[in-house]
Amino acid sequence: MDDDMRKQPKIACEKIGKTFIQKGSQQVHVLEDISLEVYDKEFLVILGPGQSGKSTLLRIIAGLETPSTGRVLLDGREITGPGPDRGLVFQSYMLFAWRTVMGNVEMGPKLQGMGRRQRREIAQHYIDLVGLTGFEKHYPHQLSGGMKQRVGIARAYANNPQVMLLDEPFGQLDAQTRYFMEQETVRIWEAEKRTVIFVTNNIEEAVFLGDRIVALKDKLPGRMSQVYPVRLPRPREHTDMEFLELRQCITEECVLTL
Amino acid sequence: MNTDAIANEVILTVREKKAFSLLAVLRNEYFLYVVSSIAFVLIWHWVAAEQILGKSLATPYQVVQEFTRLMTVRLAGLTLLGHIWASTQRILIGFVLASAVAVPLGLFMALNRTVNAIVKPVFDLFKPMPPIAWISIAILWFGIGEASKVFIIVIGTFVPCLLNSYNGIRLIEPELYDVVRSLGGNRKDEILQVSFPAAFPAIFAGLQISLSIAWTCVLAAELVSARSGLGWIIVQGMRLTKPELVIGGMLIIALVAWLTTLGVSLLERLLCPWKRYIEGL
Repeated sequence: MDDDMRKQPKIACEKIGKTFIQKGSQQVHVLEDISLEVYDKEFLVILGPGQSGKSTLLRIIAGLETPSTGRVLLDGREITGPGPDRGLVFQSYMLFAWRTVMGNVEMGPKLQGMGRRQRREIAQHYIDLVGLTGFEKHYPHQLSGGMKQRVGIARAYANNPQVMLLDEPFGQLDAQTRYFMEQETVRIWEAEKRTVIFVTNNIEEAVFLGDRIVALKDKLPGRMSQVYPVRLPRPREHTDMEFLELRQCITEECVLTL
Repeated sequence: MNTDAIANEVILTVREKKAFSLLAVLRNEYFLYVVSSIAFVLIWHWVAAEQILGKSLATPYQVVQEFTRLMTVRLAGLTLLGHIWASTQRILIGFVLASAVAVPLGLFMALNRTVNAIVKPVFDLFKPMPPIAWISIAILWFGIGEASKVFIIVIGTFVPCLLNSYNGIRLIEPELYDVVRSLGGNRKDEILQVSFPAAFPAIFAGLQISLSIAWTCVLAAELVSARSGLGWIIVQGMRLTKPELVIGGMLIIALVAWLTTLGVSLLERLLCPWKRYIEGL
C-alpha cells in the first residue's frame, strides 16, 4: 500500500469498547480497546470465531450501535448514526420480500429522493454488475441463497456508499456457492472499488479476499489479536503454496491465542 | 429440462412429465375430487331415502326442490336471494366497520408504545369474551333490529383483526429496519417501506379469520331474533319440521361464506403478489 494512502484513513476506530446491559443489570463486555484504521479502497477482513463481537463492531461502524467507549471516524468525522455513505450487507440477506429484485436494489436511491427513471438506471447497472440480468422482476422467494445475496450486494452498492460493510454475507451458503460468491465478490470489488470491511469466521475466506486481515480473540470481550497483511497477487488460488502457508500461519496463531 | 441458471446456481422451473396410465388417472386428484363428491351425495341420498337416521333427514333432491321453490315463493316477504342478501349485508357492514377501526388501531398499537399502553388494558379485558355473550346486551341496547346484529359482528371480528395486524408488525425482523436506516431512510420510511407491507399478509390472515367469525356471529344473532336471513330460514325449518329447509340453509351458508372468503383471498393475491401460497387450499 502506498504511503499517501496511509495519510488519511477512510475509517478509523479509536479504542472502541462496547458493554451491553442484560436483564437484571448484568453487564456483558462485548468489545474492548479496538483500534484499527481502514484505508480508501482497501479490502479489510475482520476474522473472528463466533462470540468474538465482530458483528457488533461492524454494527458500530454502520452507526446502528453506539460504542460505550471510544469513537469511529469516517474521513475524520465522527460517526453518530447510520447513513447512506456506508452500505450494509447482512448474513440473512434481509431483502424486502414484498419487492422485486429491481424494487430492492432501487430502494437506496428512492429513499434519497431520486426520480424513478434515474434510480431505475442505477439499479439496472448494479443488477447487471452482480450478474442478475433478467431477474429484475423476480421476488426474493424465487431466488436461491447465492442470488439473494447478490441482490443484497447490489442494493448496498446502488446507494453509492464510500464504505461497504459485509457481515458474514456467505455464512448461509453451501461450500460450492460460497467459493463462487467469494470470486464474484473480488470481481465486483475490482470493477467498482470501494472501501470494504468484511466480517467472517472463515480463515480461508479471509485469506482469499482480504488486503489485510484483523484477527479478533476468541471469547468476550472481543479484542484484537493480530493484523496480517496479505501480499498475495489477485486472482488468488486456494491451492497456491503461499496461500496455504498464510492460511496455516493464521490457523496456528489463532489456535494459540484461544 | 427448462432451467434458469446463473453459473452453478440452478432453479428448476419444470416438473418431470409422467407417463400416461390407468393408475395415473385413478390417482389424479381432480378425478378423485369428482368421485368423492358423487359418493358423498349418493350415500347422503341412500341414508335419507332409507330413513336410516329417522325421518328428519331430507334427500339431496328434496333440498334442491325446496330451494328452487324458494327462489320464487316468498318467505316472510323475501325470496331466497333476499334472505341471502339480508345476512350478507349484515356481515359486510359489520366486517367493514370493525376492520376499518381494528386494523389501523392494531397497527398503531404495534408502532407506538403510548397508544399500546392506553388501549391494551381495555382490550385485554374484552379479548377473551366470546362474541355470542354480547347478544343479550346487544338486544337490550339496540333492540331486535339490524343494529344489534351488526353490533355482534363488529364485536366478534374486532379482536382477530386487531390482534393480527398488531402481531404482523411485532413479528417483523428488526434488521429490516436497519436496512432502511443504513440506506438513508428515516422513521417514516421504516413505517411505509417495511412495517406496512411486511404486515400485509398477517392483516389478511386476520381478515379471513374475522370473516368466518362474522358468519358464526350473524347466524347466532339471527337464530335468537330475526325476521330475515339464512339463520332465520334454519329456525323456520326447525319450527315447521322441514329438514330440507334446515339442511339447505346450512349448505347455502357454506356456499356464501366460501364465496366471501374467496373474495378476500382474491383481494390478497392482488395486493400481495410476493406471497407464497399453499397449493390446494
